[in-house]
Amino acid sequence: MKPFGLAEPASLKDAIAMIGDADSGVRPIAGGSALMLMMKPGILQPETLVSLRGIEPRYSSIETAGDGGLFIGAMTTLRRMELSADVARHAPVVTQALRRLSNVRVRNIATLGGHLAHGDPHLDLPPVLIALRAKVHIAGRDGERQIDVEDLFRSYLETSLDSGELITGVTVPAQGNRKSAYIKHTTRSADDWPALGLAVSFSLDGDVLRDVRAAIGAATDIPQRLKSVETALEGKRAADALQGAGDAAAAEAQVHSDARGSAAYKRELIRVFTGRVIRKAMESAAGGTI
Amino acid sequence: MAGTTTTVGRSFPRMEGRAKVTGRAEYVYNLRLPNMLHAKACRSTISHGRIRSIDTSAAEATPGVHHVVTGADICKVLPEPFYGPAFHDQPILALEKVRHYGEPIAVVLAADPHVAELAAQRIVVDYEELPAVFDEVEAMTSDVIVHEELKPAGTFADLKHLAGKRDTNLALDYHLRHGDADKAFAEADRVFEHTFSTQQTMHTPFEPMIAIADVRNSAATVYTSTQSPSFVRYELARLLGWPESSVRVKTSHLGGGFGAKVYVKTEALALALSMIAHRPVRLALTMEEQFYTITKHPSTFRIASAVDKNGKVTARKCEVWWNGGAYADIGPRVTQKSGFTAAGPYNIDNVSIDSYALYTNRPPAGALRGFGIPQLVWAYESHTDIIAREMGIDPVDFRKRNILRNGRMQAVGTVVKDGEFEAILDELAKRMDWDKPFDRGSGTVRRGRGVAIGFKASISPTTSSAIVAVNADGSCIVYCSTVDMGQGSDTAMAQIASEVLDIPMEKIRVVNPDTDVTPYDMSTLGSRSTFHMGHAVRLAAADAREKLLALAKEIGLPEGHNTPVPELFVRKFGMSAGAIIGSANYIPDFTPPNYSTGQSPNATPFWMSGATGVEVEVDTETGQMRILRMINVCDIGKAINPVVVETQISGAAVMQLGFTVSEEMVIENGQLTNPSLADYRIPGIFDMPSVMESGFVAADQQNGPFGAKGVGESGTFGVSPAIANAIEDAVGVRITKMPIKAEAIYRALCVKQGRELSDD
Ligand SMILES: Cc1cc2nc3c(=O)[nH]c(=O)nc-3n(C[C@H](O)[C@H](O)[C@H](O)COP(=O)(O)OP(=O)(O)OC[C@H]3O[C@@H](n4cnc5c(N)ncnc54)[C@H](O)[C@@H]3O)c2cc1C
Repeated sequence: MKPFGLAEPASLKDAIAMIGDADSGVRPIAGGSALMLMMKPGILQPETLVSLRGIEPRYSSIETAGDGGLFIGAMTTLRRMELSADVARHAPVVTQALRRLSNVRVRNIATLGGHLAHGDPHLDLPPVLIALRAKVHIAGRDGERQIDVEDLFRSYLETSLDSGELITGVTVPAQGNRKSAYIKHTTRSADDWPALGLAVSFSLDGDVLRDVRAAIGAATDIPQRLKSVETALEGKRAADALQGAGDAAAAEAQVHSDARGSAAYKRELIRVFTGRVIRKAMESAAGGTI
Repeated sequence: MAGTTTTVGRSFPRMEGRAKVTGRAEYVYNLRLPNMLHAKACRSTISHGRIRSIDTSAAEATPGVHHVVTGADICKVLPEPFYGPAFHDQPILALEKVRHYGEPIAVVLAADPHVAELAAQRIVVDYEELPAVFDEVEAMTSDVIVHEELKPAGTFADLKHLAGKRDTNLALDYHLRHGDADKAFAEADRVFEHTFSTQQTMHTPFEPMIAIADVRNSAATVYTSTQSPSFVRYELARLLGWPESSVRVKTSHLGGGFGAKVYVKTEALALALSMIAHRPVRLALTMEEQFYTITKHPSTFRIASAVDKNGKVTARKCEVWWNGGAYADIGPRVTQKSGFTAAGPYNIDNVSIDSYALYTNRPPAGALRGFGIPQLVWAYESHTDIIAREMGIDPVDFRKRNILRNGRMQAVGTVVKDGEFEAILDELAKRMDWDKPFDRGSGTVRRGRGVAIGFKASISPTTSSAIVAVNADGSCIVYCSTVDMGQGSDTAMAQIASEVLDIPMEKIRVVNPDTDVTPYDMSTLGSRSTFHMGHAVRLAAADAREKLLALAKEIGLPEGHNTPVPELFVRKFGMSAGAIIGSANYIPDFTPPNYSTGQSPNATPFWMSGATGVEVEVDTETGQMRILRMINVCDIGKAINPVVVETQISGAAVMQLGFTVSEEMVIENGQLTNPSLADYRIPGIFDMPSVMESGFVAADQQNGPFGAKGVGESGTFGVSPAIANAIEDAVGVRITKMPIKAEAIYRALCVKQGRELSDD
């Protein structure tokens, strides 16, 4: 690995001031787990890394709003999120997804901000956060903005962050009685990055599904909503709509053959796991269980 | 030779265990020498081609670079820069041609490893790309020729006839004829034929290969993470034209080896670089570079059986193609020494085996935990299971009808002694409750179970030498070149010395291999150390014991005296001084096989065997398979250290589990696409079977040290076919290609249901 400089600003403002333009050779570093995988083989050779570890503690905290909404700072480690009682109470599907995200050594250092900013489709939380209608908080030289998590991802390893912008946190709106579930499926080894991630979230009106959100990760170029699944389920009883939802998902998702499986096989997996993730959500207690 | 023992047979904790878990154990990877340079290689980006030119100017201009070295520069210090244990076919750096992706072409030396790495990336190689051959069966007839001429090393008498052969990829063909297979096939009630294949995998030792060479004043010292210090010394001395006493090879504990670190790997290059630089040079590979250095043979195995109506196999024909990659390494030995067991641990009167070592344009293949046996067992135990099922005979029963028993002659012409093949099968069936009903699952989750058994003959003949010194204070030092790479050999050797000399374990030290200090050993491989070095240490300790007795007599003590050892030294030397040195060489009896029939009345000193049973669950909607229970039962002779034996069995089985279900080196368009642990998936804790048991059948190996035999590989033998057999039992589909991925199972299920899944 090429040697690099390390800056350790004490505030978000200073960090933003340091990162500058995309091609300046300066790069923010949070946990470093994704960065190091790219720097070791020389795919990425930054001159300077700006560590976000020293910025204000607010950005590594988890706050709960009165209605059950959550704010999770960008520098919160995945392990802190996994162990947080607030996350488990208000968004248990997140806690559950985290338990099978890589291994504890990675979760101990990887952060939520790095996880999202990395832009790799093979990550577990993006589809979950999309299904929960979470928003990303972004700060730059020109101030702050918020976008839906689904609008963060542009293309493979590319996000809609402008150069000089940092993720400061994520808000997960109050889930009320909504039911949610996530299924991670790996095809190479159990602790691999997912070959397919499917998340779903909905309210139940009697036994009819309402306000459905479905999202896919890993099998597609970017994590994204599966709108045809949402349509197939909206206003239906789950039992009547599972088959149609699976078929819709398999038809909508643009998948490619790669080391984790052929496109044809992935479509079969999407079909099967769409049904399973909906059933899993149905079986979860209101708001989900862990 | 068993008898009652006090130290041997007890589960002493590993001698180096504490140092390892507290991070204090020595590894060569952590060694730094004063004034040392770091080497970084520029490697081939194609699989086969002629090198038109190498432009090193940008690398040389990089500040901090000391030398940029190409194959031509190597020739100036080592005029014949070809190495290899079986063939002298591997150039230290590519000369004129590259034959596999990742082959080293040039090296940058710098005091700063980052500078070396950066400069190595600046070397520009211009190739004339040539068509490449990757498949072992195609290589038999391909127009693509990997080596223009065969260059056998001369070390092995049975390879000499290959010298000078041209325009062939066939490095070695081995044939065995036992009885009359053609006749038996002509007369058979039933004939079965199947073809199986295995993929290319890698050892993934967590301490990557490393050598630091320091050549000065006509003497070379090489610190290396090797399993074969004596061979490294031999081969480097040969390259140099120096006496072996001028080459010193030192090693430490290894962070894993598994066969990756046998013979010469990084040492010859490090040596040449130090000669060029006149400074110590450290050549440390990355995990990625290990994939380009040595791997496990892909293979294709066509196997046919003639069976009578009672389920007795009357004949077997085996054709095995071994994909040795671009350089032979020890591959030809695998072809032959493992090849003769290709018909399985069965009593078959008529056997014909043809086993072929092929050159291809893949990274070289060599020894990997089992030395070819797991590839063979995969085929013959899948095949055996298919026959049993098709004939409606219980798979365990079918195997028992045919099992090779002690006193019977194996196909190679050697009568089996102390081979507990039937006993391990019985023990396995018992532990699996094979006779009891089995829950086969329902709906989309189906369950099945399967067994498999494999065997191996210890590679012969090989020699081990040992020195055992008793110090004046009564403590003891064992000098041997067996490398403890995690298998616990130091502890076992200490236990043997302790047993013979009646010296407590805590007063015994086992010296790390150092060829100036520890005597010759063939290598730490093939589960040979406990048997061969165990004997050498035992005999050396007995020699020391005799000398202690002689000393006692000399100073006038009566027989049966109980004078403590330190007292003997004081009485003889007037103070605590002097030493008693015992030494021994050990080589077992052996008869070389006849070249045309492959027959030998004494092909091996001992047989190893392992049987595996698994219960699996298959999700019929995804093909995903989970192992609910895995049981491995091995013939272990008598365990010197039972806990170490148990971990050898489970470790071997887990390693083979990875090769069975997930590990695979993928070559696309001539490039290896997954040379990293991110993309080459070894099993993690969640891939372990829900329940895993290791069992043994303990029966004395009568010619072994204290009844012991080797066990380092036996746990690998049955794993892969047992899993395939259990899958067929669960969902009725047969997988014939490794690795067994969920998608392959799913696709087979689709075919069975008459719907084809597209290939996109
Ligand atoms: C071995 C291994 C296995 C893994 N397996 C999985 C898995 O199964 N599932 C899964 O979901 N993930 C997995 N991960 C990925 C892990 O979740 C990511 O590495 C992690 O999310 C990245 O977080 P980090 O804090 O380490 O980011 P870093 O590596 O520090 O940064 C990642 C990227 O984001 C940028 N960045 C970091 N913080 C910010 C910020 N606040 N604002 C803007 N840009 C920022 C960096 O410049 C860099 O480009 C695995 C990682 C490893 C190393």
